[in-house]
Amino acid sequence: MAVAALGTLALVFPGASAQASTTAKASAVSSSVKACGSVNLKGVTATARNSGNPFKSSELICFDGMLIRYGNNAITYTNPPASFATAGKLLFDQTCASCHGSEANGVTPSGAASIGPNLQGVGSATIDFWITTGRMPATDIAAIEAERKPPRLTNKEALEVAAYINSLDPAVPAVPTVNMRRANVSVGANLFQLNCAACHTITGAGDALAFGTNAPSLQNREVTAQQVAEAMRIGPANMPRFSGNLSDSQVRDVVAYVTRYVQHPANPGGAGLGGVGPVAEGFIALLIGVGGLALICFWIGERS
Amino acid sequence: MSDDLELTDLAERPAPTDGHGPTRTKVPMPIATLSDPHLGDAAKKPERTEALIALVLVVAIVMMIGFGIAYVENWNPWALGGTIGAGLLLLGFGLTAWGKYLMPQGPFVEERHLLASSPDERTAMSAALVERSAVVVKRRKVLGGLFALGASIFGIVALFPLIRSLGPLPGNSLDVTNWRKGTLLVDSNGRSVNKGTLVVGGIMTVYPEGRENTDYGQSVDQTVLIRVQDTDLVTAEHRETWAPAGYVAYSKLCTHLGCPVGLYEQQLELLVCPCHQSMFNVRNGAIPQFGPAPRPLPQLALYFDDNGDLRAQAPYDQAVGPGFYERNTTQVDGT
Repeated sequence: MAVAALGTLALVFPGASAQASTTAKASAVSSSVKACGSVNLKGVTATARNSGNPFKSSELICFDGMLIRYGNNAITYTNPPASFATAGKLLFDQTCASCHGSEANGVTPSGAASIGPNLQGVGSATIDFWITTGRMPATDIAAIEAERKPPRLTNKEALEVAAYINSLDPAVPAVPTVNMRRANVSVGANLFQLNCAACHTITGAGDALAFGTNAPSLQNREVTAQQVAEAMRIGPANMPRFSGNLSDSQVRDVVAYVTRYVQHPANPGGAGLGGVGPVAEGFIALLIGVGGLALICFWIGERS
Repeated sequence: MSDDLELTDLAERPAPTDGHGPTRTKVPMPIATLSDPHLGDAAKKPERTEALIALVLVVAIVMMIGFGIAYVENWNPWALGGTIGAGLLLLGFGLTAWGKYLMPQGPFVEERHLLASSPDERTAMSAALVERSAVVVKRRKVLGGLFALGASIFGIVALFPLIRSLGPLPGNSLDVTNWRKGTLLVDSNGRSVNKGTLVVGGIMTVYPEGRENTDYGQSVDQTVLIRVQDTDLVTAEHRETWAPAGYVAYSKLCTHLGCPVGLYEQQLELLVCPCHQSMFNVRNGAIPQFGPAPRPLPQLALYFDDNGDLRAQAPYDQAVGPGFYERNTTQVDGT
């Protein structure tokens, strides 16, 4: 898409020189803002380079006052094309509007607060994450958490809805594509231990949190690289949002660790038993190991 | 095969004696015949049982060979454990089944001579003991003394670790961390934190500058930094300036048993300890909401320096981590 429209695209690359001083930084940002139209940066206030802020990215492509793509060689963030918005509005009215309000602003036509929250200004990554993980549309609006389930809408339909909602209040983050070619799984493992393991456990099996909520399993191989990156950048539900404190290359490393190792553990000791921890492992060892030995002893000592 | 089992000879075994001398006489003892009442049904018609046991042993041999191949070929742990496990189990099964089903089964009674010695022998023994202790044992005073000395030295040496474990006194090392007035907050890669690093709902672990890769820094100094809101946050009285731009910092050590309080639920604004589910409300000074934690997490006062980087206003105002006997008990009013 970008290649086809190259002649008319307004390409802005705030390169390394533009970052040299505060004033240069400010001017680069303001010129980018003009070329990219108004972008709600609520989702990323990061001032570090390549941390998810389009105006601090190595690559930034805007067209016709719209943010199309930004990022770097670790993660590319792409907004769904504006042409998707028409189909997206139809899908939104059918699937989402009853809870989130017809304008996706969390307000019913009568002015009361709707069941679901305001979706304007959350960025297309947020919409894509909640729909592609099947958490939205929710089956039980009274449930404390919308659980992961087979998605109701296809990936393309999710992007269409995202395009529509993003057109109401253009925002970031856009939908990330992770390029794992140069990912460092070892660095990802360290970052996972520091940032993710507290809730998702060291094996990624997931665990219960407070008040009936839970951190979902990352061993589930239906969890895609894109969804992991989205979750880190948007902080869905009770998950903290990892923005400026993790650069795009660090997010890529964590994603690589999750998709390559957590979802395909080596288990050098044999059975992993789901990686749920020492209590379950001890239970199995006692029941099958000691129980089996007791049965064998009984057989040996029994008079024939 | 079973035809070989015939009543053929007599076994040689020690005859019952009165305890004197190696007298052995040949007494007749019937060994297993097919009419032996100690033989089970399977042993009386052993062809099928023998074939089964042979099969088990052959499979065991195959498994053992398989283990050798798996080891040399570096197959996966399932193949290694499966082959040697099954091999050993089947070997044991074959041996046990052999003993159980093909051999005579008890109970057997073995006659045995009288255990008590004769009166003469007992008299002679006590006389010898008295005589020898008088002459032989009492002559070994030096050896006995050496033994006693060795045992006492061992007892004294054993006291050393006990005494050493009583000191040195910890002093104020349990009360202080490496956070000082003006200490720069850095992440595990040594990068400083500015206003844009976290968005609302974000969390990271920070360390005092220069301590991020030390054991002490990662265990005692570790601090969670959370951005709760965009504007300055007041978590408690007298803490008006402690959380600029919504950045609030708490010690990461649970006040219960010192686990890292790393679970942050951004919608509930709760820090949860993964060990015993203590929950701390980050908005009101980390007062425990649930669980065994007895005190709030100590809060670190922050400010933005002239470069816009976060620094500590002062050291922690109380000891971090779990309680100890000499702990200064001043604490935030958490009631």
